[in-house]
This record gives sequence, structure tokens and C-alpha cells, in this order.
Amino acid sequence: MIAPLLSERRLLITVGSGGVGKTTTSAALALAAGRLGRRAAVITVDPARRLKDALGLDDLSLDPHRVEVEGGSFDALALDTKRAFDDLVRRFAPSPAVAERIFANRIYAEVSRELAGSAEYMAMEKLHELVHTGAYDLIVVDTPPSANARDLLAAPRRLSNLIASKAVPLLQAPMSLLSVGQSTVGRATLSALLKALQRWTGLQLLDDLAEFTAAFEGMLDGFRERADEIAALLRSEATSFVLVTSPEASTVDTAIEFHRDLVREEFPVAGVIANRVVAFAEPVAVATAAQRWEEPLRGKLLRNLAELHALSLHDQAALEHLQSITGLRLLAAVPQSTEAPTSLAALGRFASQLA
Amino acid sequence: MRNATRIVFVTGKGGVGKTVVAAALGRYAAERGRRTLLLETAPDGGLAALFERAPCGPEAVPVAPQLDAVRVDARVLLEDYFRRTLRFAFLAERLFASSTFNALTAAAPGITEFLLLDKLLGIAEPGLGRRRRYDLLVVDGPATGHALKLLRAPRNVLAMVPGGPLSQTAHRLRRLLEDHRRTSVLVVSLAEEMAVRESIELCECVRDELGIRLARPVVNRVFPRRFSRAEAAVLAARGAADPLVAAAEFAIARRREAERHVAQLRRALGENPVLFRQLFAPRVGAEDLAALGRTIGRSVLAEGEEAQA
Repeated sequence: MIAPLLSERRLLITVGSGGVGKTTTSAALALAAGRLGRRAAVITVDPARRLKDALGLDDLSLDPHRVEVEGGSFDALALDTKRAFDDLVRRFAPSPAVAERIFANRIYAEVSRELAGSAEYMAMEKLHELVHTGAYDLIVVDTPPSANARDLLAAPRRLSNLIASKAVPLLQAPMSLLSVGQSTVGRATLSALLKALQRWTGLQLLDDLAEFTAAFEGMLDGFRERADEIAALLRSEATSFVLVTSPEASTVDTAIEFHRDLVREEFPVAGVIANRVVAFAEPVAVATAAQRWEEPLRGKLLRNLAELHALSLHDQAALEHLQSITGLRLLAAVPQSTEAPTSLAALGRFASQLA
Repeated sequence: MRNATRIVFVTGKGGVGKTVVAAALGRYAAERGRRTLLLETAPDGGLAALFERAPCGPEAVPVAPQLDAVRVDARVLLEDYFRRTLRFAFLAERLFASSTFNALTAAAPGITEFLLLDKLLGIAEPGLGRRRRYDLLVVDGPATGHALKLLRAPRNVLAMVPGGPLSQTAHRLRRLLEDHRRTSVLVVSLAEEMAVRESIELCECVRDELGIRLARPVVNRVFPRRFSRAEAAVLAARGAADPLVAAAEFAIARRREAERHVAQLRRALGENPVLFRQLFAPRVGAEDLAALGRTIGRSVLAEGEEAQA
């Protein structure tokens, strides 16, 4: 069920809560595509140290790195969200002088570290960059563990919205705006807003913000254009979203929410991949096997199996619940393995479970 | 400072069981006579459900004797602030609807977090002439990233805003957070690679960068030890064709891995985490909550008392 996705799509985006194995799944999807002969790349976000090491990604480079695994290869790239924003500013600032002014700006220091949605935004920007190289048949995007789809999908627009909004003229030339021909109520609203903001933040903050937004204005058109292109790409027929979940109740709930948001925004969802699924038979099925053992070990073995079976039932019910609410196809149910998939060999085995 | 309101801030990676830990701690403290308030920061109502109640709202409601629960929504706090500041209600509504306001608050760093902390401050330090309603505030906090954003907010605001009433509040907040007698951060983890890694980074950040006291970390859902080493050897000799052996090997491997991760956490943080076992039932029941409360409550509350004395 996954093979057609891997052969036909140009873009796969994995979404889901944190801790479900999204990054590993994304890398495994890229590998599986590579094994089918496609030129594939995966954009990962803040991967685990060991996975990063296994993929040969160091902390210094933001460029894709070729990964060879038995039967196939793919390119991997890890987004370091802390540095990616600086990189973006450097690339798109109209001049190095403007870039330096931005880096020196107090607001920038806070914004670049904590801009709402920056990780999601960076993933989308990187995606745009890779698509434009034309080097890949398929790009798999591992998304940051966002709380919801809205954060993720709104991210490309969020920064450009801030700059494009009336906050810019308001902050740059507050007094001039009041003299523009507006209704009494309009002017009163603006005046009140200004006073509230100034009382709240202190004038200096507004100056800093004004300078920051002024500096960014030069890049605004570029941001907006790319945001539009990314949005179109996300909705194209060559794109599919893949939900990744584990049988844990909280991750299933997150997957359901994601699905709802994606469907509402009319994004194409191909199905769900479930990781860390536990599947053990019930004790009655193994009565013959039990006879070979003696107490107290037999009792322990049966109790253990009973508990693991209880977990299995729980997992099964959770996935059925997910499928019945969303109508999604279960693309793969990957069993819980006791090896952490952080070696290339383990990644290769994981990919074999998918396709 | 003997009777100051204490705050325990529960956080950790997404999905580790923060809400359950916060609820258990709150229940334990309330049973021991402390007037406790549970504050939920997520919108999903999971906290109240553990006490079999309807989801919390913006007004505190009792969920157990001496135990209240409330939901704090940063967005609601922000709107309240501006509603109070702008004299006419219709101006406030126009403001909230405007893309300007939404764009600013969505992208501006730390403002909504700051309001959340301010609310906490208002409950913990109600001011002269007002009675403290609670002895303990347990915050069912957001996951790591957002939690750090929250805890950094006072410092961020102080860095951006040199003076004025806002920075005064920021100073008070910083003092409250960094007061080891009153505030602690309880990190919840799982015995898994990514959770442990994230927990270590989080603890180091909280302790070293922010100077906030750490409660003993809690490792949740630790797979139980069922087979002795001798038994494991017997099983290994038998071979995995037997389904009972296969299941046992799985459990042994899971346990071994869990122990490895717990050891890693212990080494990195230099202290013994509190362990709570994996539950095999589908839901967390009242008994489980009580057991968890007993396991962690003693250490969390006792530490505080030592710090206060």
C-alpha cells in the first residue's frame, strides 16, 4: 500500500505528535523509495543524536548528505532550527549590512530563538529550496512535533503576515497614521492600541520592532512568494500527507486532530502508519506450550503473556478507533521492536516493514 | 516565608504522562491537608477527566476535597488584558478581530507566556490584605519546548523592555521562579531514548540556564522486572519458537532497555529518578492515581519542606 505512494508522489509529509517515530519513519520512507529506484531526500527536524550520527549528519552542515543502506540510497538533511533562521536571513537580506543590522537587533535575537512556528517555517523553506534544485523525484518532510496541523500549515505565512500587516506602518510612523483620513472611531481604536502597546512594552521595544520589521521589509516579497509556492505545493496532486502514530491514546488523539485539520484545509491525506505496535496472542492459545513448563516459571510466563496480550488488545482497539473516526487506511503497522532504530542496518529493517 | 504558596511545574516530552503525574501529585498533597490548585495549560480537558469531571474552565472548581482545578488559556488572558486596557468593549472586539493584533501576538516572543505566569503570580501572591487561597499550585505544564519558552519569558521580557511596570512584574516573576524554597520544576520522562535525551537537556536548561530548582525527575511507564537473571538464562536456552518464551524475551529486553535508559538519566543528572511502573490496564484509575501520588508525592513535598526550613 505504501509502494504506490513511494513510486508516484513527489512530496510526502509526515505529521503526528512527538515520540511516535516520525523521524525514523520519514528516513525509512526515503530509503524505501531509494530502493525502488527513485532519487529521494528526507528533511528531518532535530533528529535524535544517534540517528543523526547513523545518517552521517554533523552539526556543521545544512546541506543534504548521501546515505547508503543495503539495497538503496537517499539524501538526508537535518534542520537545525536555531541556525536555519540565521542562514535564511543571510541568504535573503538585500545586503550584508542589512543582515548585520538584523543580527544586532535585540528583537531579532529573541525572535530567531523563539519565533512561533520557526521550526515549521524552516522546514517549509528548506523544502522549497530542495524542490527548486530539481535533484529529487521524491522529498519526504519530517515535521517538527507541532501541537497541531494549524501551527504547521500556517507557519510559512506567519512571519510574512506579521510584516505585511498594518503593524509595520503603525510601528514605523505611529503619529502619521493618526492623521490619515479615518473615522473618529478608527482613529480612537488605533490610538488606544498604540497606548496599550506602549504602556505594555515601553517605547524602546516599539523602536526595536520597527527597525526589525523595516529591515525585513526588503525581504517581504520574497517570503510571501515562497510562502505562496509552498502552499500550492502542499495542495498539489503530487503531494500526500502521512499520519504517523503509535497506539498510545494521546498520540492517537493527536493524529485524529491532525486529520481533522488537514481535511478541513483540504490537504490530501494518504493514510496512517502505526509504530510500536504490540501484538501477542492470548494465553489460552498457548496451553500446549504452557504444559512444558513448571511452576513457578510457568505462572510467570503466563502472567507475562497475559499482560502483553492485554497491551496488544489495547493497541488494536486504539488503531481501530483511529481508523473508524478518520476513515484512514492503515498503511503499515510496525511492531514494537526492542532495538532502537538508530543504526543504518536497523533503518534498513524498518524500511522493509514499510514497503 | 514559611507559609508562602509553593509551585510545582510539571513538564516533559509530549506523551510521557505529565497530566497524570500532576493530577497524582495534586491529589496526594490535598489528602495531606494542603489546599491545592491544579492548573491545566492544554485545551484537551484530560486533567478533569482523571477525576471523572467535565473539562476545566477559566474558573477554579473542586475536583476532590481540598483540590481545585482550573484551565489557563493564554489567549483568553491576552484578550482579558486588552479588554481591561481599552476602555470601550467594542474597541477590544475590533482589536481581536484585526489581523494586526493576531499577527503580532502570534509571532511576538513571550507575551502570552508572560501573561500565563502573571496569572500564576496573582494566585500565589494575591497582594496585601488578600488571603492566600492555596498552599500549593501544581501546573500541568506544556511539553518541553513550550515549557522552556514559558520559564524563559520573564528573562526575555527583561531583555527587551528596560523599565516600567512590565519589567517590574518580570522581576517579580523571575524572583518567584528562582526561589528554591517556593518553586520547582518536575520533569517527567519515559525509559526511552528520545525522552531521556530530552529530559536531560531540559533539566540542564532549567537548572543551569534558568537557575530554577529541579524536583526529582519521574520516569513513567517503566516496564516491570518479571524474570530473574537465572530464569532469563533458562528461557534463552529454550529458544523462541515457544510463544511463551518469545513473549518473555520481549519483556526481558524491554526491561533491560528501560533500566539502561534510567541509568543514563541517573548518571546525567546525578540523582535517582522516581520510577513508576507501566500500567497494563487501558485507563488510569483512581487507585493508580493514588499509587502514583504516594510514589512521587513524598519526595516532591518533602524536598520543598527541607528547602523551606
